[in-house]
Amino acid sequence: MAGGGGGFVEAEAIIARIETKSTKIESLLKQYKPVEALKTALEGSPPKTLDERCKSANWIVVHRALMAIKDIEGMLNALDVEYYDILMKYLYRGLSTGDRPTCDQCLKIHEKLTERAGLGCILRCLSDTLNTV
Amino acid sequence: MAVVDVHRFAESITCHAWSPDHSMVAFCPNNNEVHIYKSSQDQWERLHVLEKHDQIVSGIDWSSKSNKIVTVSHDRNSYVWSLEGGEWVPTLVILRLNRAALCVQWSPKENKFAVGSGAKTVCICYYEQENNWWVSKLIRKRHESSVTNVAWHPNNILLATTSTDGKCRVFSTFIKGVDTKDSKAGSPAESKFGEQIIQLDLSYSWAFGVKWSPSGNTLAYVGHSSMIYFVDDVGPSPLAQSVAFRDLPLRDVLFISEKMVIGVGYDSNPMVFAADDTGIWSFIRYIGEKKEVSSGSSYSSQFSEAFTKFYGQSKATTANEASESSKSRGGVHDNCINSIVPLSKAGSPKVMRFSTSGLDGKIAIWDLESMQEELGHQF
Repeated sequence: MAGGGGGFVEAEAIIARIETKSTKIESLLKQYKPVEALKTALEGSPPKTLDERCKSANWIVVHRALMAIKDIEGMLNALDVEYYDILMKYLYRGLSTGDRPTCDQCLKIHEKLTERAGLGCILRCLSDTLNTV
Repeated sequence: MAVVDVHRFAESITCHAWSPDHSMVAFCPNNNEVHIYKSSQDQWERLHVLEKHDQIVSGIDWSSKSNKIVTVSHDRNSYVWSLEGGEWVPTLVILRLNRAALCVQWSPKENKFAVGSGAKTVCICYYEQENNWWVSKLIRKRHESSVTNVAWHPNNILLATTSTDGKCRVFSTFIKGVDTKDSKAGSPAESKFGEQIIQLDLSYSWAFGVKWSPSGNTLAYVGHSSMIYFVDDVGPSPLAQSVAFRDLPLRDVLFISEKMVIGVGYDSNPMVFAADDTGIWSFIRYIGEKKEVSSGSSYSSQFSEAFTKFYGQSKATTANEASESSKSRGGVHDNCINSIVPLSKAGSPKVMRFSTSGLDGKIAIWDLESMQEELGHQF
């Protein structure tokens, strides 16, 4: 689907965009605004590409914002409903890393998110094999 | 509650269909037979057992005007049963399939029936008077995977199909000699047999349960990702809407009016969806009550236990208490509902009664008469 030479350039463009996002997120985190940071991280996700590097780059950015969240309820209150599905996908990516602190955080958020979004959210995350994160 | 009658007929029911006067029900108890029961004075008695198929009967439909039962099975065969002298006599229909047949439906005029199969084909069967047998015409193109459900448009020519490739397609099934060309309807190109009118790419996962609205203007089908899709003005410029909902996926849908749809599936509780005055579809409510667990979350004890284990792995988290003692979800069905059948006169714009059957072996009859006020003006 990402065709030849054009695809390569596209990936670079996406990575550049992710880098801009990253700086924005760092500054938001310094201002103690973790919820804003997560919103910024989730915007434009998943990157419309099959390139694993882009996906990993985006994951690193989202991961940074996720780990900074202390008030999960507050974060979910502030997050729009349309971001629930994409957040769930990143939670599962986090759980798949096996890294203890990441998994702890992801499990905590998963519990609250499932209460809000229901099992349908998990289903949509599992059954979508086209737009993976 | 809107439930009028519930009866457990077998361990598990694959599919069911009603007789024209709704006094008898034919179903497959998850084996190669079809059982016909008659209801008399609150008792159900078994009248017939139709035993011809070698494998599970995956689809049954009972025509209301000609009183014929068509059955299809995983054994790649189909039989049309006619009542002769109190006995059901089968006629084999050679479908020419090399994989299982998955679903069947009589057309509105009952001169054709459509069969969806695992062979990525749809068979349209019609009766040839001269040879006194049913002929099968195949739509081989387009489908990339099993055809899970078929639905006839009221005009007897258009057929909608859903498939495990995630797409919903509409085909023309015009057959010379069987169908008459309606001078108003469509261009000559659309009248070619097997011609694909439209392909809907809304779902990323398996698609099931397609139905047309009573006027034929709207299509509804479900995806396995807990989504339901509505398409208005099916044709060159359709208006598609994807509605995501909270709970487990649906398996089948039914239009109870032009603007209201009931979906049934893995949640064992029928869901009502309606379109508001601007045409936007959304989830309204469950038909039956959903039993609330005292710990605050709405899951039964089976889920609570699973979640406790899942979240308990994190040292920082507090686990959900598994409080409820009963295993049932408090509804009519205990397991996945995989079929919903209307119990009104065919072609009527409003469906007042319908029945559901599922993996728990129960058939439940629902009546919406008492719920008309609650459902609102869309009903």
